[in-house]
Amino acid sequence: MSEFTREGLAPLSTIGNDTPRIDAIERVTGQAKYTRDWKLPGMLFGKVLRSPYPHARLVSIDTSEAEALPGVRSVITYENAQVVWGAGSVNGGRQYNDPTKEATIHRRYIFNNPVRFVGDSIAAVAATDRNIAEEALALIKVEYEELPFVLDPEEALEDGAPLVYEEGNLCPDFRGEFAPMISDIGDVEAGFAEADQIFEERYETGFIHNAQMEPRCSLAHWQGDKLALYTPSQGISNCRHDTARDLGLEDHQVQVITKYMGGGFGNKNQNQDADLVAATLSRRVGAPVMLEYSRREDWLGVHGRWPTVQNYKIGVKDDGEVTAIQMHGYSGMGPYRKNSGGISGMDAYGCPNRYREISPVYTNRTTSGNFRAPSEPHGFYGIENMMDEVAYQIGLDPVEFTLKNMRRPTEEQQFTNYTLDEVITTGAERFNWQARRKVIPGSDDGPIKRGAGFSFMMFRAGVGTSSAIVRVNANEQYTLYVGVTDIGPGAKTTMGMIAAEALGTSLSNVEVVWGDTDRCPYSVGESGSRTTIMTGLAVVEAAEDLKRQITDNGMPTGGDVLIASATPSPTTDGKTRQCFGSHFVEVEVDTRIGSTRILKYTASHESGRIINPSTARDQIRGATIQGIGQAIHEDLLYDPKSGQPLTPGYYRARHLTHKDIPDIDVHFIETDDGYGPFGAKTAGESGIILAPAAVANAVANAIGHRMTSLPITRDKILGAMA
Amino acid sequence: MRDKKKQGNKLVNKKDPAVKYVEPAAQGLNSKEQSRRDFLEGSGAAAVAGAGISAFGIPGANAQSSSAVATTVINVVVNGTQHSLEVEDRWTLADMLRDQLDLTGTKIGCNRSECGACTVLMDEQPVYACSQLAVWADGADIQTVEGLAQNGELTPVQRAFVINNGPQCGFCTPGQLMTATALLSSNPSPTAKEVKDAMVGNLCRCSNYNSIVEAIVMAGEEGGLA
Repeated sequence: MSEFTREGLAPLSTIGNDTPRIDAIERVTGQAKYTRDWKLPGMLFGKVLRSPYPHARLVSIDTSEAEALPGVRSVITYENAQVVWGAGSVNGGRQYNDPTKEATIHRRYIFNNPVRFVGDSIAAVAATDRNIAEEALALIKVEYEELPFVLDPEEALEDGAPLVYEEGNLCPDFRGEFAPMISDIGDVEAGFAEADQIFEERYETGFIHNAQMEPRCSLAHWQGDKLALYTPSQGISNCRHDTARDLGLEDHQVQVITKYMGGGFGNKNQNQDADLVAATLSRRVGAPVMLEYSRREDWLGVHGRWPTVQNYKIGVKDDGEVTAIQMHGYSGMGPYRKNSGGISGMDAYGCPNRYREISPVYTNRTTSGNFRAPSEPHGFYGIENMMDEVAYQIGLDPVEFTLKNMRRPTEEQQFTNYTLDEVITTGAERFNWQARRKVIPGSDDGPIKRGAGFSFMMFRAGVGTSSAIVRVNANEQYTLYVGVTDIGPGAKTTMGMIAAEALGTSLSNVEVVWGDTDRCPYSVGESGSRTTIMTGLAVVEAAEDLKRQITDNGMPTGGDVLIASATPSPTTDGKTRQCFGSHFVEVEVDTRIGSTRILKYTASHESGRIINPSTARDQIRGATIQGIGQAIHEDLLYDPKSGQPLTPGYYRARHLTHKDIPDIDVHFIETDDGYGPFGAKTAGESGIILAPAAVANAVANAIGHRMTSLPITRDKILGAMA
Repeated sequence: MRDKKKQGNKLVNKKDPAVKYVEPAAQGLNSKEQSRRDFLEGSGAAAVAGAGISAFGIPGANAQSSSAVATTVINVVVNGTQHSLEVEDRWTLADMLRDQLDLTGTKIGCNRSECGACTVLMDEQPVYACSQLAVWADGADIQTVEGLAQNGELTPVQRAFVINNGPQCGFCTPGQLMTATALLSSNPSPTAKEVKDAMVGNLCRCSNYNSIVEAIVMAGEEGGLA
């Protein structure tokens, strides 16, 4: 079930109507071409050799037998192919910042020595077919000197811990200084002094692999000094720029092509090592090379959400007013700093005294990086379980407690609009919160217990720069050029709908050209929930320009066309722009076996005006289900003795299947704050931010024990009940 | 070949069109990469037990030389067309469809019976094409996602996927459609629960499960494949 409340919004012609994707036919007939579906004449196949050890120095490598295998065309190794992967490790995790990448202390190469995790790359082979390439890997002789390893981020900071880098295991920040990330607002000690009660608790969260269905692959093809890269990218413009920089080329010497791609959820924002390995192999052999990762390689060799430890201390008055929030956190980054290691959430509270200190830490686990709302789901789980516990301890309804303590607009910081009260109260009504929650947690008789949980959030929806080009020909047919790909949310269709609306024509009269850096202008990339608002605003501005040209000059005739391009730099006039959400969930826990079942789920959101209702609905539902998986199933466990990963792959991470899925009631309150294309805000990451917090709160409400570690697996529930 | 094909069909439960998860042979943390054929034919488990650390295909003493690769000629009907093909014995059905017949609609998501993206119909039963050897398809009738629409006319379940946003990234969609097609053949108007039971072997990491189930129920209400 889904519903849209549009009070006060004037209906539009195209926007707001359920619209099938413009490429839906290709997607349901098998015609959609994904990277591995391309075949180029003379194409070779590439495979990567990876470390079986969590930490080892490579003493020697002998590739002679592999090179002698018939069909093998090239073997490249850490000795003869040292290419920096700039996006693979960045000071402070600043993925979009070139100078920071240049200044990065712990640089990552396409092949590394020492190898620092099980799955780190050592060498690669190009051969005439993939089976020969795989056979060749088995013929490469590597002599390893095993080194001590460390898996746990807190242990990694202890004296005498094995060092991932000689400077220590605390990751450098964006200035290159080895210091934690600190946010210090107000006076937290004064806040604790003001409090009647103080609560402390430690929360932990696991590693969540992005696990997109399409395993990483890349097809590189050089023609002279120009590289064509067919690759599953979330951001073709970023991928082109990164690849050019890493290979010492100008941007225009790289063409990135992503026609269809099988998901990413944040692990394909920049170029990937596969792109650089394929390009290096292809240049050596003078033929196109298709580099393919297996599912296991993708699981361990790409990245997932960073595991965290969060130590909270909360000061609260007897009337429920929060006076101080403090958190000391640790994020396990693996051996390379791809992204921030952030732990968000506490800034959703209005409390004036907030102190946060996060130590991103190197370990010898697989690399951590961005996964849909990179800093949020684990952080909101921690702070909102903390606050939920505080609310019950002092005898308040968590919803009332939130309405009292959540961040609101102030004189100093205004919002473009603020609907969080309405979002929460609407969700509570639809869910029937008062009837479903247990005023006394765990009060159901018998071993099967029900309970309800709630969570809320605000999330960035700021505007920013992106580009679009619109063209019209003498037949009054429009072509929209946007550098988007479609990683699942339907960006091509959304952009076409915005263009049709702005141009005053029908969607069928707009052809969308996408996914090719030689044909499309810069776009921000399908990351950070930015495409709809940022590239969408550029589409609106280009369309307005084209309409002015048509008014001034009339429609083109003959072979002429009119073209308009736009690269706006919009602002929100100093106001903060946020989308809002709250989730309500009822669970049933069988305390005899520790299982958790979702009985009812309500998702209440304000994401501005909704462009395409069905795809917006499914962004929320899909993200929510991913968040439920994070709450109760997924993790990447390691054997502490050998440092070997134990649960890579869909089976072992226990991803949710059709049978685990509840109905999810999605409700959007639609608004137009005057910013963003037709008032649209962000939606893609919203759902996942809320689900782990809400599910964990519901489990606590059902069983009467706070679950302080994700995932909430059966053994943890049995342990809590024992 | 007959024996092997029979073994392959163990993956299929004739009474229930659902593709069932088949627990892969225990691949310990130090598992050695087996040849695909050894693995699929069941001799993998024994060899794994004694293998040294080689989680990523580190030196195997018995690496085969490619010159020794065996091939077999098979006869197979794919999407209504009869083919006689010489296939390497180590090729999977998915490899054959994608590489030899250029039917790339069949996707390889895990290559080890975990995700269902490669689901095709073999003699009308859904199977994971990544976990069937091509030689086992000798004499079989295979249908892939490319064989669903006839003369440009989408089947009801394809139409329902278009209308109800069945694909997000779309990578699992061909497999979802093939299992759904088998379900609707045997149960033209399934309930949501029956759909979920039948589709349990097809993962969707975009987690668009609600829309997929709604689409299949919708296709059933429209008369299944009629």
